[in-house]
Amino acid sequence: MLWPMVQSAYLSFMDYNRIQPAQWVGLDNYRELLTDPAVGNALRNTLVYAVVVTPVTVGLALALALLLNRAIFARGLVRTAVFLPFIVSLGIVAIAWAFLLDPNIGLISHWLDGLGIVSTQGWLSDPQLAMPAVMVVGIWKTVGFYMVMYLAGLQSIPTELYEAASLDGAGPWTRFRNVTWPLLSNQTMLISIMAAIATLQAFDQIYVMTHGGPYFRTETLVMLVYRVGFEDLRLGYGSAISWVLLLGVFVLSMLQWGYFRKRAVTY
Amino acid sequence: MPDMHGRRTRRGIALAAGLTLALAACAGQGSAQDDDGATGDGPTELVLWHGMTGPDGPAVQQIIDDFNASQDDVVVKPNVMPWDVLYQKVLTSLSSDDGPQVVAMSASNVPQYASKGALAPVDDFYADDTWMDTSALPDAAKHAADFDGTAYGVPLNIAPMTLYWNKDMFEAAGLDPEQPPTTWDEFASMAEKLTVDENGDGKPEQYAAALADHTTVPIYQMLLWGTGGGVVADDAATATLDTPETLEALEFWVDQVREKKVSPIGLSGADADKLFQTGKAAMEIVGPWMTTGFDEAGLDYGLAAPPAGPDADVTLADVVAFTVNAKASDAQQDAAKTFFAYWNSVESQKTWADGSGFPPTRTDIPADELENPYSAVFGDPELLGSAKVYLAGVPSSGTITDSIFYPALQRVLNGDGDLTEVFTQANADVQAAIDKG
Repeated sequence: MLWPMVQSAYLSFMDYNRIQPAQWVGLDNYRELLTDPAVGNALRNTLVYAVVVTPVTVGLALALALLLNRAIFARGLVRTAVFLPFIVSLGIVAIAWAFLLDPNIGLISHWLDGLGIVSTQGWLSDPQLAMPAVMVVGIWKTVGFYMVMYLAGLQSIPTELYEAASLDGAGPWTRFRNVTWPLLSNQTMLISIMAAIATLQAFDQIYVMTHGGPYFRTETLVMLVYRVGFEDLRLGYGSAISWVLLLGVFVLSMLQWGYFRKRAVTY
Repeated sequence: MPDMHGRRTRRGIALAAGLTLALAACAGQGSAQDDDGATGDGPTELVLWHGMTGPDGPAVQQIIDDFNASQDDVVVKPNVMPWDVLYQKVLTSLSSDDGPQVVAMSASNVPQYASKGALAPVDDFYADDTWMDTSALPDAAKHAADFDGTAYGVPLNIAPMTLYWNKDMFEAAGLDPEQPPTTWDEFASMAEKLTVDENGDGKPEQYAAALADHTTVPIYQMLLWGTGGGVVADDAATATLDTPETLEALEFWVDQVREKKVSPIGLSGADADKLFQTGKAAMEIVGPWMTTGFDEAGLDYGLAAPPAGPDADVTLADVVAFTVNAKASDAQQDAAKTFFAYWNSVESQKTWADGSGFPPTRTDIPADELENPYSAVFGDPELLGSAKVYLAGVPSSGTITDSIFYPALQRVLNGDGDLTEVFTQANADVQAAIDKG
């Protein structure tokens, strides 16, 4: 883990294309990325994706966990159905969704057409719809995992606390607000940090579904690193971008950790 | 689906990449092969990588088997993998010490590796008759893999693009099923009849054409040649996306697709093939590799030269070339050329054409000596004579195509930005990519 990172940090000061010997260029790569419109675009896309997907995923995971923690019909089946996308290979998920959203043969496109929502070119190649489409799939794919983490948290809350709250006359909302939510704060911290890091590193699912297109509308920072590093063969520049991303993720995680730590409840 | 072109499948399914990615994986090793044929006795072994995984695969294997059986000095050991896998691995393998000696790749990818010193020049293959009489090879194929005035490739195949048209759909639209469009104007007037929006929702149920605007053979780029325009001038050094000729061609095709809706926007090459194959598009411009798939789908289709532009009648030739690893020993380089000569012999090329439906790489094999009817169509001397290779000799061809041209094209097709402005900027970006090398 450490050695590749050190190598990558070293590479970020080099001009290297894998065949010719690497050349020391100092801070040139870092200077270039400050003014590169592709970096700005990818940063914007990454932030939009993270800002939308992270809270929606966490909120939805909590809602599903609360719902599936009760005795409802076919609870096990529903839990499995929500969790299933998480264990299916990402490549298969992305390909399946690309099919479902295909403008000519896709089932979802067909239904939407029937409802009068016509996309002439399909969700994934429409510049306005591509980002929402990959967001929906990203949420659908990961929400089951976070739900299971919340379920574990819910089941670790002693039932006496709920009984005591009920005796004091607390309704469902008060019980959630004063018992469940504070006692889940450790889970929420962990889940929020994990989800935020995962969205900031979004790559594989989007890469397979859209290649970052149409015209870079869904290109994230990690995809940009892949493009300049492995397609344009500029490994030094790609390393520089990935180090800036790493720094950003680190700072954000520290901020989240600091925020949640103050609110942590121990019992 | 047969797929001869690398770009279409080069970006397959990527596996999860971590944060610092596998950037440091440049230390990765290709699989070890103990085949240093330069030492010891016995035959010289050549490891050959190629991506002919489609119906053309058996024809490749047949010629290699014939070659290995025909002499005792050289043994060719093929290693077949999909093109996208090959392109992902090729750079690492060429820069390591145990890579393949011979790699087949799209000629448009050759300058990228040649400019970095990863490939050995093969000028002497063309210099005299030592290996073979190369005057039988079409010029477009011979010089497709040149870089900086030096030859780095010997043709494996040549594939001119043709217009495929669906005869049943032409008939249903009230057009003569035996008369495909021969000019852009004819294309426009026929396309009007072939585009059908039954319920008036703005999304045609039937399209006149399937024109792919990313991950495909460069069809739009080829269409730019019709007015004398193009992406890069023939000198391989000057960007020409902002010339009046290029802009005129772009305006015609963007108008056809965006306003007249002759083709959906946002198609990949595979999408376009699927649309034509399922009878939802009446025309497609594509190479010989699709005949098998369309035959199996039971389509009644015809093949003709793509419609001629107002100023030029040029088609695109896609060439896959054999290249030699710069690290190959002298004995291996000689052995490789012996094999290339065998591959391009009259006998081998008959095997190739009959087995694959591709035209022979030679101009001296009469059509009536070929069993596969498509080989003769694609090998038509007039068609091959007007064929040109896209971005020949430009090392940054991949960047220009995927990171500059297609995004700009998609922007104007989606009505996002003024065409002249978008392509003036794209022209500057292409020039910068060329200058960087």
